[in-house]
Amino acid sequence: MGIVRTQDLTFEYIRRDEEGNVEGITTAVDKVSLDIAQGEFIAILGHNGSGKSTLAKHINAILNPTEGTVWVDGMDTSDEERVWDIRRTAGMVFQNPDNQIIGQVVEEDVGFGPENMGVPTKEIWERVEESLKAVGMYEYRKHSPNKLSGGQKQRVSIAGVLAMHPKCIVLDEPTAMLDPKGRKEVIRAIRALNQVEEITVILITHYMEEIIHADKVFVMDSGRIVMDGTPREIFSQVEKLKSLRLDVPQATLLGYELQRRGVRLPSGLLTAEELADALGQSLGAE
Amino acid sequence: MSMILDHVNYIYGQGTPLETKALDDICLQIPHGQFVGIIGHTGSGKSTLMQHMNGLLKASSGHIYFNGEDIYDKDYNMKKLRSKVGLVFQYPEHQLFEIDVFSDVCFGPKNLGLDKKETELRAFDALRKVGLPMELYYQSPFDLSGGQKRRVAIAGVLAMNPEVLILDEPTAGLDPKGRDEILCQIKQLQTDTGMTVLLVSHSMEDVAEYVDRIIVMNKGRVLYDDEPKTVFAHYKELEAVGLAAPQVTYILHELRARGLAVDVNATTIEEAADTVYAALGKVRRK
Repeated sequence: MGIVRTQDLTFEYIRRDEEGNVEGITTAVDKVSLDIAQGEFIAILGHNGSGKSTLAKHINAILNPTEGTVWVDGMDTSDEERVWDIRRTAGMVFQNPDNQIIGQVVEEDVGFGPENMGVPTKEIWERVEESLKAVGMYEYRKHSPNKLSGGQKQRVSIAGVLAMHPKCIVLDEPTAMLDPKGRKEVIRAIRALNQVEEITVILITHYMEEIIHADKVFVMDSGRIVMDGTPREIFSQVEKLKSLRLDVPQATLLGYELQRRGVRLPSGLLTAEELADALGQSLGAE
Repeated sequence: MSMILDHVNYIYGQGTPLETKALDDICLQIPHGQFVGIIGHTGSGKSTLMQHMNGLLKASSGHIYFNGEDIYDKDYNMKKLRSKVGLVFQYPEHQLFEIDVFSDVCFGPKNLGLDKKETELRAFDALRKVGLPMELYYQSPFDLSGGQKRRVAIAGVLAMNPEVLILDEPTAGLDPKGRDEILCQIKQLQTDTGMTVLLVSHSMEDVAEYVDRIIVMNKGRVLYDDEPKTVFAHYKELEAVGLAAPQVTYILHELRARGLAVDVNATTIEEAADTVYAALGKVRRK
């Protein structure tokens, strides 16, 4: 069994009007079954309101399924006694770094998690050091978080989760509020966690170019998983993604536009290099 | 009919050890009806600049003229300026508060002292301009999707009948389709009404697609001020200040480096597809 597994996960909530009368029931996640192996880099795409964030919150036991089951490292998330074990196994990073940083000094902020877990002081400092190094923020350890840029703050948030030694990190649009440089820094840090530390990454994003290196992509719509596959398989389906209010990376889109003008190219080219190679081959073949 | 900034400086914490020059000798002229993009990394002075344009912050030195009048003149009506220069903050949906969409949009014009009829006409007009479906007008703003809420918030500012609309990252956190829809609507509005629009954005692809002119801010100064093609030709310098060019610029440079005679100044996918297609044609004819 993988690190995160869901079986027919369904989450419903009741909508109420001003007086508290029931207006109806919304199914935010609808019978989702998935199995994520330890060490995978998973991306979840979907338009606003498709159920991505609701699904993500189940992995961290912030929400419990209405029906179905979620297991994190073999633990059933609806088992209240295991909630803290589950949260330290699967850490979560949210969109706005300002809502996640509490310490006055970077290293204190990162140490907050392990301190709460009762980790011995000496080990806390070791964990703080290795976590800050992993996200490239060690030299800022004595700084005040509110003097950092958005990308730096977000990397401190990730280090804070990392210091709890999770097996899995769920990131819910961690780059939505960042400038291009901040976005690049955060994505680089996330990829390093996955490749060097072998932590399972589940990344939710609206920026298509951020996930071209993912092992697997899930696309959600109306609470269901409607597409899954490698980035290449997913991004080959330009029209289908557009109908789901999504997009493809610009290299893929340029390849697609050229195909439509009659240039012979394979679908699902993900980077500038791939596009250049394919164009070279296309010319050579004639 | 224009806005002129004449040697505007703004200094935070003047006379303290934390003294920071947030705006450094800004000289700009923004003629009526232009669609201007403002880019810069976090902390580059974009927001400070915007807040000067509608008088929320007062320059430490220098002058700002709106339609020929000095806004720092002691007889100048600041309240009128704020209704003429509408500012839509980041995540404006957090500022929605009324019991239904329509009342929320009425709030601004009502505060201008307009009578009920005029207020409601303005609210209808504004909601129509942002393309919100009529059946949502009497729903609670909190029941709408992210993109819809954001339209309502923009309508709230439009209902003041501004001559200049300033938007601070209006697409942050929206899915790709939602981004396109909002920006298309704003572009349409600008074309139809001749309104001046200033768009602050971290998405270089969006800026390249929609604006006539880009102002690049860095360390409180204007680094570049030109049409998108010319600005993005400096992509190396932009990277040095935490920005980037649209992805398509990198793709074209890669193709050029491999010997394909493409025009590297194309900034949209459409233009890029044209130049690549033309370059392929030339190779074939040889």
